Amino acid sequence: MSDTLLQIVIYALIWGSIYLLISLGFSLICGVLRIFHLGYGVVFVLAAYLTWAFMEEAHLGLVPSIALMIVVQCAFALIVFYKGVFQRYLEEEEILLTVSILVFLAVAHLANYLYPVTAGVSIPSTIIDDVVTIGGVTLAWQMIIAALAGILVTAVYVVWFMKTRIGLIIRAVSQNLPAALLMGANVNRMYYLAMILSVIPPTICLVVIAPFWGVDPFMGAPLLMTAMLISILGGLGNLKGSIVASYLIGFIHASVSFIFVPRFMGFAALIVTLIVMIYRRGGIFAGETLW
Amino acid sequence: MLEISSVSKNFGGLTAVSDVSFSVKEGEVVGLIGPNGAGKTTMLNLICGIYKPDRGAIRFDGTDITGMASNKICKLGISRTYQIPQPFESMTALAGVLVGVLNGKKRSHMSLPDAALEASYYLEFVGLFSKRDTLARDLNLYELRMLELARALATTPKLLLLDEVMAGLNPTEAARALDMIWSAQDQFAITILWIEHVMKIIMNATQRVVVLQYGKKIAEGPPREVTSDPKIIEAYLGARYAQH
Amino acid sequence: MVNFELRRDRIVARWRDKKTEWVIEPRYWRNPTVGIGLLFILPVFVYSYPHILTMITTANLYAAIAIPLALQMLGTGRVNFGPQLYLGVGGYTAALLNLHFGWNPAMTLLATVVVCTVIALLLSPTTWIAKGLYFSLITLILPLTFLDVTYIWGDLFRGEVGLVGMSPLLSFEKVTWNYVAYYYLSLILMLLYLLFCDRTVRSRIGISMAAVNENENVARMMGVRVDAYKVFFYVAPSILTGIVGWFIVHTFRTFAGVTYLPLEFMTKILIIVIVGGRAFLYGAIPGAYLISIVEDSLRGLGPVNYFVFPLVLIALIVFLPRGEGLWGLYKKRRPRDYFPKLHVRRE
Repeated sequence: MSDTLLQIVIYALIWGSIYLLISLGFSLICGVLRIFHLGYGVVFVLAAYLTWAFMEEAHLGLVPSIALMIVVQCAFALIVFYKGVFQRYLEEEEILLTVSILVFLAVAHLANYLYPVTAGVSIPSTIIDDVVTIGGVTLAWQMIIAALAGILVTAVYVVWFMKTRIGLIIRAVSQNLPAALLMGANVNRMYYLAMILSVIPPTICLVVIAPFWGVDPFMGAPLLMTAMLISILGGLGNLKGSIVASYLIGFIHASVSFIFVPRFMGFAALIVTLIVMIYRRGGIFAGETLW
Repeated sequence: MLEISSVSKNFGGLTAVSDVSFSVKEGEVVGLIGPNGAGKTTMLNLICGIYKPDRGAIRFDGTDITGMASNKICKLGISRTYQIPQPFESMTALAGVLVGVLNGKKRSHMSLPDAALEASYYLEFVGLFSKRDTLARDLNLYELRMLELARALATTPKLLLLDEVMAGLNPTEAARALDMIWSAQDQFAITILWIEHVMKIIMNATQRVVVLQYGKKIAEGPPREVTSDPKIIEAYLGARYAQH
Repeated sequence: MVNFELRRDRIVARWRDKKTEWVIEPRYWRNPTVGIGLLFILPVFVYSYPHILTMITTANLYAAIAIPLALQMLGTGRVNFGPQLYLGVGGYTAALLNLHFGWNPAMTLLATVVVCTVIALLLSPTTWIAKGLYFSLITLILPLTFLDVTYIWGDLFRGEVGLVGMSPLLSFEKVTWNYVAYYYLSLILMLLYLLFCDRTVRSRIGISMAAVNENENVARMMGVRVDAYKVFFYVAPSILTGIVGWFIVHTFRTFAGVTYLPLEFMTKILIIVIVGGRAFLYGAIPGAYLISIVEDSLRGLGPVNYFVFPLVLIALIVFLPRGEGLWGLYKKRRPRDYFPKLHVRRE
């Protein structure tokens, strides 16, 4: 019994930290641009398959591939999503959301066509290829590194938002756009910055979890769903809420996996979110501001 | 007809209405006056069911309507207009009044063309028949207020709550609006509770006046008496003007 | 009993104290009677090409899903990103009851309606509990969760392979007649849905919901029973979509959740509604035919079509005008008719 409990706690912490990375970018776009970025899954697919493409086709090493991939990601986010979709369809939100989904589907199917699952895509980013045993629970070092990466990146982001001037400006833009404009904030530049900032955590996430999570062209959809549930649960666009909700959902996934059947994870998370929404309509930290 | 007994409402730490009681008898025109922030519109919202009073009770025609849902209150016979006109912007004037006709009281067998006929009757009554096909966002302020009046009348109310109908109208328009309200009261036999700032209207149109300040009722009575009371003058203009 | 009167531009029907009017539209390209007549005689030209018949039957079914979705979006004022949930629910109910208990199609129809009603009523609180954007997101997640559920209980739902061999609605000796018959049945289904949704939108319920979409508090103060109407506008289209699921099960005789529940199918339906124009309801039919033809022609490209199809849909959105869409509201004689505005983020 205590074995299961230990397993649940450890996996809740690890998955919670990994989910932090997944939901950070999503909450950022939600809180600052006030747009629900349904094409967010693209980031994961692009991260995995661009790295693989650079490594296989251009024969670059792992680190140069990752660096190049980040550049292409930022360009994709800015050009295709920001300029191509968000700015054009800001007034017609249903079209904005649909086109975002379509872009995600196009990219996922392209990846599937070029490198189907049978092509054995994998990203050799294992840092320590070993396992560790904590009180009866065996974990791969990579998972602990992924969790630590999650906590580190989130901490950096929070400190950056709290302490720097640009972080302050972004927080102001997310709280009250007209007032921020009146105070002289260059809102467009802040939006570009927010888009780029939102691309980085999921990329890091994918790079560190690829060895044990597995890479497949359609991995964007379940990860997007988890990010969405975390955002809804924690309050749309709220960083504090995302952090709390990530660990909450990590805990739910862990307990459902180890007490019942792993396949019920997503379903259980959805039910819990719906129940929370009945009592607190905006999520845990309602308010739709960044912090 | 309408009895308000010791109604109080707080919003967080702010007391909007505190222990207010008054009543409105059938056929009367009662004015509700007071400086800004006195809680007049909150009082109206409490009667209409938009907010639920923390304490106290509101009775209409013997039925307790405290905290009842707004649509049931409308079916019982209370209608209101809004301080800032809130028309249905993408709908024509006729369509807006049509909604009132169809939903104001229980009419299960009315067809749309017949309801449109009745709606145009109300539009003609307020003088907007020529604008029946104009979108509500294209109407000017006077026409918007008349549309609000027509919409409120279309729900066949017994009690009409008017919220600052004269605000923003020039004297000609104000006179026409006053005429319209008088003829409405005459022809539809409605009771009116009227929030207003323009003193001339209060003097001419109302039979009784209730004065609120900071959420409390400080006076009640015929308009001439109340407005020459130094306490009321102090409430509106400050103590300096109270002695004269 | 029913009195008909022919006026210069409309036909008026009176029954007891109710009166309805049909406006006669002189422009032939906008006249629904001409359009419907064309749809009815279409099989005469294509009856020897079974795969074209299947294509237009599918188009009718897409339209039959898009029309209740359009009604739902007009009525609740929010975008529903998961109409295919009830397609799956209805389809699986019909398929499982038919395969395991041997119920005939009429009984499975009844069961589908009942199950869809129950589930829609259970989920209807989301219309007033979840604020605008949250509602859209929850509807997005629900079908994917249902898909997960079908995988979890894979032995019952048969996961990706799907259920096969359900009893057909009708079968003739010649296979071609089957295809033609199914086309007409799907056409009639779609037209019935169109009639129902059109009548609802033009009735007192439709006008009241238009008022609610504009300003909910004011509408409530005018006596509109907002919560009841929202539930109606959520439950009724869901039941209609469930019935389409039943139809698919008994016509195509195979049903796999993985075809209908994921995002790809949802985008097809949403595009039909969006491309159909502001009028949403009538525009769904040409939109559905367009999407069906595009999908069929791209299928010849092989596996690349999964990548090209979303790009074509994006191109359609970008290049087709959305003002009047493919087929605007056909009554041009009342130019100030109400055009609803969809709000995704509304409260």
